[in-house]
Amino acid sequence: MATGPRRRRDAEGLALTLALLALAVLWLLPIAWVVATSLKPTENIVRLPPEWIPWPATAEHYREVLFSSSRTARLGRAFLNSLVIALGTVAVVVLTAAMAAYPLARLRFRGRHVVFAVLVGSLMIPNAVVLVPLYVLTQRLGWLSTYQGLIVPEAATTFAFGVFLLRQFFLTMPGELEDAARIDGANAWQVFTRIVLPLSQPVLAALAIFAFRSAWNDFLWPLIAVNRPEMFPLPVALALLRGAYAAESYGPIMAGAALSAVPLLVVFVVANRRIVEGVRLSGLKG
Amino acid sequence: MTPYLFLAPGLLLFAVFRLYPLLEGLRLSLTNARLGRATYQYVGLANYARLADDTRFHVSLGNTAFYTVASTLPVLALPLLLALALNRGRLRNLLRSLFFFPFTLSVVTVGLAWLWLLDPVVGPVNYYLRTLGVPARSWLADPQTAMWAIIATTVWWVTGYYLVVYLAGLQDIPRDLYEAAALDGAGGWRSFWTITLPLLRPVLLFVVVTHVIGSFQLFGQVFVLTGGGPGDATRTVVQHLYETAFQNFFQFGVASAMAWVLFAIVLVFSVLQFRLLRGHTEF
Repeated sequence: MATGPRRRRDAEGLALTLALLALAVLWLLPIAWVVATSLKPTENIVRLPPEWIPWPATAEHYREVLFSSSRTARLGRAFLNSLVIALGTVAVVVLTAAMAAYPLARLRFRGRHVVFAVLVGSLMIPNAVVLVPLYVLTQRLGWLSTYQGLIVPEAATTFAFGVFLLRQFFLTMPGELEDAARIDGANAWQVFTRIVLPLSQPVLAALAIFAFRSAWNDFLWPLIAVNRPEMFPLPVALALLRGAYAAESYGPIMAGAALSAVPLLVVFVVANRRIVEGVRLSGLKG
Repeated sequence: MTPYLFLAPGLLLFAVFRLYPLLEGLRLSLTNARLGRATYQYVGLANYARLADDTRFHVSLGNTAFYTVASTLPVLALPLLLALALNRGRLRNLLRSLFFFPFTLSVVTVGLAWLWLLDPVVGPVNYYLRTLGVPARSWLADPQTAMWAIIATTVWWVTGYYLVVYLAGLQDIPRDLYEAAALDGAGGWRSFWTITLPLLRPVLLFVVVTHVIGSFQLFGQVFVLTGGGPGDATRTVVQHLYETAFQNFFQFGVASAMAWVLFAIVLVFSVLQFRLLRGHTEF
């Protein structure tokens, strides 16, 4: 008796799914266009009607942006710079935020509410607001155009969010294992490193991905904090690469754009669920 | 003692590179500091007074406000519609991933892609519009359309992120609420207004606040796509701040005053939105 309406609902669901799939393909066309352009020989790039299949294909643009020394910004080096900066930021953020979130979630001490309130409130500070003083500070430290000059401010920017995210998770952990370890004579540091951290791997991974993404993609801070081309991270090098070429030279520029997407694409494919979980925890449980 | 030892490294990092710059910025905004000038004097509120007369700053504020207002509805509604649709159909995880992907790109990558798509002569957007009978336009060079092009680019970039946020919110709504409503004869539309929307309120609040704070800091898209042009049609506050501090005469005092005006606006808006959207519903 119920099969009639259910079958109709199934058919509707299928139609909806197909429509969404079509929309998703449309949604990703800009990316297909970038990749297609990057693989075309220069003379084929500006042909109309637009050719979506790059045939014949060539790697010449990739070779040029990665290794050619004739241009102002070499993306090969910029790629490595971005990796160092992003991984450095991840290490600093995950360590400091986990250490700070643990007592805020699990220990009682004076001032913990104030500390947490200040950290959460700071999430509303726009990065642009601290730009000038941060520049003055970084300059005084002698950190302009250095890795630490990019990693440390980047980590400080993500720190408060990291504490927020990890504290949410630590609050939900059952306390029995910690208690048991304490009875066995473990001190706070041992409980933290042997019990709490191993149990928190999913959320630590989510934070690591978040920190990697913000550091990998940040543009404004490196734009002012780096003035030696060999220290440019990818977004800055890419933006300046555009200026280095004539406007119509889309081949090399699109090769650079495609390259810049690769690391996060890999992370995304491997750890899709962690990303979703991170967004979920950060957006909703506050 | 132990809790403080755990907190120390992070709080040191936070205090030196986040809190101190914020307050130092307020101090600098009361001085005539410039890059490379060894000494400087306090000038009271002179920098703020200057901003009151700075027409380019006003234009930047106006553009930023326009962008914020005009982009909020699409950023709020489009991902919500997608989330509702995804929630009903199949292949939810696959579709979610596909829509999310643009959000993993940097603002520069996104900007470069759209620069090429919107190329007035050989770009595909104008080509396909022409075949549909729409005359070709220089979307980014026309003051009428430049900001809309930046809005479209941004919507494309962030929709997947908010989609994930909405989907998570939708999945937290208990199924039996809908079943009870269906038993009472409420249709899909009715249960959307009486169940889904009210229960999504905290999520909507999160999306609006996050988007508005981000909007006031609009910079990267403009830097890549238009450089603030044509004329000053897409010049934003952060761009004006960046140029004042790091391109023209390195006026750190004036730029810091701009930063604090921006900060004040963001604060006021965030508080207002919390008041407005939180209402008296508690969850």
